[in-house]
Amino acid sequence: MRTIIIDDERLARNELNKMLSHFESIQVLDEASNSNEAIEKIHSLQPDLIFLDIQMPGKSGFDMLSELEYVPKVIFTTAYDEYALKAFEVNALDYLLKPIEPQRLEAAIKKLSTSIPVDSKVPGELPGSDLLTENSQVFVKDGDRCWFIKLNEVRLFESVGNYAKVFFNGHKPLILKSLNALEERLDPKAFFRANRKHIINLQMVEKIEPYFNNGLLVELKGGEKIEISRRQTVKFKERMSF
Amino acid sequence: MIIGKKHYWLLQVFGWGCFFLWHIFGAWSVDRMNSPEERLIITQRAAGFALLGIAMTHVLRIVILKLGVLAKKIAIQIWLFLLLTLLMSFIAGTAEFFIYKQLGLFIKAEERIFHKSLLLILLNNALAWFSYFIIWSAVYFIYHYVSAAQKAQIDTLKLKSHIKELELKTIKTHINPHFIFNALNGIRAMVDENPQRARSAITELSNILRSSINIDKSETVALSDELDIIKDYLALEQMRFEDRLQVAYEIDPQTINKPVPPMMLQMLVENAIKHGISHEVNGGLVEIKSAIEGKTLELSVENTGCLKPQQKGGGFGIRSIRERLQLMYGDHAHFEINQSEPGKVRTKLTLPASI
Repeated sequence: MRTIIIDDERLARNELNKMLSHFESIQVLDEASNSNEAIEKIHSLQPDLIFLDIQMPGKSGFDMLSELEYVPKVIFTTAYDEYALKAFEVNALDYLLKPIEPQRLEAAIKKLSTSIPVDSKVPGELPGSDLLTENSQVFVKDGDRCWFIKLNEVRLFESVGNYAKVFFNGHKPLILKSLNALEERLDPKAFFRANRKHIINLQMVEKIEPYFNNGLLVELKGGEKIEISRRQTVKFKERMSF
Repeated sequence: MIIGKKHYWLLQVFGWGCFFLWHIFGAWSVDRMNSPEERLIITQRAAGFALLGIAMTHVLRIVILKLGVLAKKIAIQIWLFLLLTLLMSFIAGTAEFFIYKQLGLFIKAEERIFHKSLLLILLNNALAWFSYFIIWSAVYFIYHYVSAAQKAQIDTLKLKSHIKELELKTIKTHINPHFIFNALNGIRAMVDENPQRARSAITELSNILRSSINIDKSETVALSDELDIIKDYLALEQMRFEDRLQVAYEIDPQTINKPVPPMMLQMLVENAIKHGISHEVNGGLVEIKSAIEGKTLELSVENTGCLKPQQKGGGFGIRSIRERLQLMYGDHAHFEINQSEPGKVRTKLTLPASI
C-alpha cells in the first residue's frame, strides 16, 4: 500500500517510518508536517493509506480530511485525545496511540489489507476530474462530530444555501459543497438530480408515484419523499427503463 | 434549623397565643370571669397584650436586623439585646397605659397605682413587659446563635471538600497526558537517533513527574526551583517541536529566592505552548520574565499566538489559578491574561514579594 505519514513532529514521523519499514506491504511515499502540505501531497500522490496525527498546527487532522476530494484509508495516530476520538462515529476508524505498540500497528495494517478495498484510483489521473463511485468513501465533519461515509450509504443530498445536507443512516450532517459541484463529481449511474434542491441515490428508491404536473414523487428507504421535477422526469423514466 | 419568615410568624402567633390563653386562665382561676362585663374586659385586655406583644417584638426584630446586631461580636450582641429589650419594654409599657386608658380597660389595682403616681404605673408596666420580652429575646438570640454555628460548620465542611477537589483538579491538570505521551514518543525516537539526548530527556521527564506528584506537599517553592522544572519541561518540548519553539528568559537575580506557588508558572508556560506555539505552523517564541516592582513580584509568560475570546475569562486553567491565588494570598495577588501586542499573548502573575 502506498502510504503518506502526516505528523507535525519530525521525531514522531521518523519513529513511525522506522516501524513501517518492517512491513513489506507498506511503501512510504512521503511525509507531511502540516495539513496544507498533506492536502497537496495526497492530491498529487493519491496514496492508498495515510497515517494521520489528529492535533496539528493550523488545521486539525479532522479538518484536513473534510477538505479532501479524495479520501484514502486512514489510520489516526494520537498521543492522548479522548475528546477527538469520542467525537468520532466509529465506523471505518482505526487509531493508534503514541508511542505506538508494534503489535497494534501490525493488527491495524492486517485489518486494512483484508477489508474490502476502497476504489483504487489510477495514479497520475488529475484529482477532481474523476468521478466518485458508490464505493468511494468520503469524510464528513459537522461541528464536533465526524464520519467516514461510503457513498452507497447515502440516500440523499439536499441543498441548504451554500451547504449540502447529507442523509445517511440516522444522520444528516452538513458539508460545505454546492449541489452543482456534487453533481459533477457523483457517478450519474448511481446518483440522480431529482430537482433543484435534491440529488437522490437511485438504489435507495423505495416507491415511485405519479405527481402533479406530470412529475413523479419518489419515496426513499429512509422515508423521505422527493419530488422529481417535470423536466427531470423524462430523464428519470429513461434511466429506470433500462 | 434554617427557618424562614413563615416560621417566624408561626412562632410569634403561637407564643403570643399561649400568652393570651395564659392570661384568660389566670383571670378565671381567681374568679374574675364571673360576670359578662368582667369576661369582656379580661378578654379585651388579654388580646391587647398579645397584639401589643407581637407588634413590639416585631419592631424589636426590625431594629435588630436594621442595626445588624447578629453580625457583631457575641459580647456586644448580648449587651445590645438587653438594651433594646429594656427600651422596647418602656415603650410597650407606655403604649399599654395610654391604649387601655383610652379604651377604659383598667382594672382596680391599676386604678389605685395610677392614682398614686403616673410614673409608678409606667414603671410597673415596663417591668412586666421586660419579663416577657426578655424571654422572647433569649429565644430569638439562641435560635440565631445555634443556626449561625451550624451554618459555619457546614461552610467549613463545604470549603474543605472544595479545597480537596481543587487540589485534585490542579494536580490532574498539571500532568497533561498529551504532553507525557508525546514526550515518551519523542524519547523513543531519540533512543536511536541521539542516545545521549534520550537519556537526559528521561531525567527531565522524571523531574517533571516528581514535582507534579509532590505539589500538594508544599505551599510554596523558591522561584529557582520552579524555573528548573520549567527548563526541563521546555527542553522536552523543544525536543518535540525542534526549531518551531524558541525560548527566552529574563530573570531578575533578586527574584530567584522568592517563594512562589508550585507548578503555577509552569502551567502558564504549558498553556503558552498548548494554546500558542502548537497552533502555529511556523512555531514561535516563549518568553519568561521575572521582576520586582515595589513590594510585588511580577512573573510573566509571553508567547506567539492570538487570544481567543473564550480564553480571556477563563477556561478551567485560568479559573483554577485565580482560585489558588485567592486561597493563598486573598486579594494580594493577581492574574491577568491579554493580547499584549498583535500576535503575542501575555499572562502575568503578581504576587506579594515577602521575605
